Amino acid sequence: MIIGNYHHKMAAHCESGSITSLLNHAGMKITEPMVFGISSGIFFAYFHKMKSFAFPTFIVRNKPGQMRKNLEKRTGVKFYSKDFKTPEAGQTALDLLISKGVPTAVQVDMFYLDYVPSWERVHINVHFLVVIGKEGDVYKVSDSYFPNPVDLPVSSMNKARFAQGSMSPKGFIFYPEFVPRSFDYEKAIRRGIKKACFYMLNLPIPFLGIKGIRMFAKKINDWPSLARDTEHLSHEVMKINILLEDQGTGGAGFRFMYATFLQQASEIIGNPGLKDMARELMEIGDGWRELSLFAARIGKNRDLGPEKFRQLSTLLYGRADKEEEFFKRLSKTIK
Amino acid sequence: MNQVPTEELRTEIKNLIMETLGITGIRPEDIDNGKPLFSGENVLTLDSVDALEIIMAIQRKYNLRIADQNLARQVIGSINSIADFLVSEQEKKL
Repeated sequence: MIIGNYHHKMAAHCESGSITSLLNHAGMKITEPMVFGISSGIFFAYFHKMKSFAFPTFIVRNKPGQMRKNLEKRTGVKFYSKDFKTPEAGQTALDLLISKGVPTAVQVDMFYLDYVPSWERVHINVHFLVVIGKEGDVYKVSDSYFPNPVDLPVSSMNKARFAQGSMSPKGFIFYPEFVPRSFDYEKAIRRGIKKACFYMLNLPIPFLGIKGIRMFAKKINDWPSLARDTEHLSHEVMKINILLEDQGTGGAGFRFMYATFLQQASEIIGNPGLKDMARELMEIGDGWRELSLFAARIGKNRDLGPEKFRQLSTLLYGRADKEEEFFKRLSKTIK
Repeated sequence: MNQVPTEELRTEIKNLIMETLGITGIRPEDIDNGKPLFSGENVLTLDSVDALEIIMAIQRKYNLRIADQNLARQVIGSINSIADFLVSEQEKKL
């Protein structure tokens, strides 16, 4: 069976896209940028030396799951979520929900999704998609990165849901079990923005927020000494582009999506200042995109001398300065 | 979309791609308008870095922004899809 009235839509990011799509299905009118903005999705953190990562890396959004938690606090939505010990238990629960007509988001390792072209399949354990039906041994899936719903055999779905490794999905599922008839949009938007500004400006930890961008700018000069060889260094440098542009960020490390949120928020709460801030963030996003392209270019050409890392560092310091200024003014705009 | 992309626009796009990526030895007419640019089926074999270069070149030349990479992926699928996108963007501005 396929859940008949489910409306598949593409989205910029898998988690915010799945949440938006499920909320829309449950009757809540909300856009993906609004989900992202209200839940203070925008963020930055740089991890130079951490056990979980073999090489320094960074993130440009809050951690998986945080969006749902923040959204619950600010809109009154309640999500049911659960993980499972075995594929059998996970499949039984999912099949039961589908048979009851409940579209359900699942966390998967992207590598096992047969409908993803083989050259795009990589092990990413925190991809989200919505299961919207099942016919025989095949699930009907709404994956927000694809223009139409796709099919996935049960065996592949089970592998994807119970993949091992860092941040393994453990069969995790979620769906909204309560959606309020209405909520105070203005209050939710203000709280979302204030918290995002706090995360970016005031967290007293040197690798988080703007401080994290500056740490990245400083430490990137050490990258050549941490890599095994040129191939490894090239791969890691090109990952900057992937993390900013290719992993469902909506472009420029979520900065474009947050700008769209500010634009929509400006109209909803009648604050024209937010529209100006949106325009400014789009320009900041263009700078991230330039940086991303620079990294991709030097990585691809193996042009990885110290001067190139100094240039990357300068570009990163530039983003940090711009974002610091931006979030300080955003914080005043929303007061 | 009411307007249809012209052959001139398609040639302009091909020239822009070749200039941006420094491609020589291929004539614009050698590039198939409908075949994908990234799968090896066309005379050009491009990769994801080339894709970003092309997106940014299109943004600069036509003064627009393709923010969402899912949209970007669809837009730069082929010469025809780029041309269709540019025509629809022009119509939006009218």
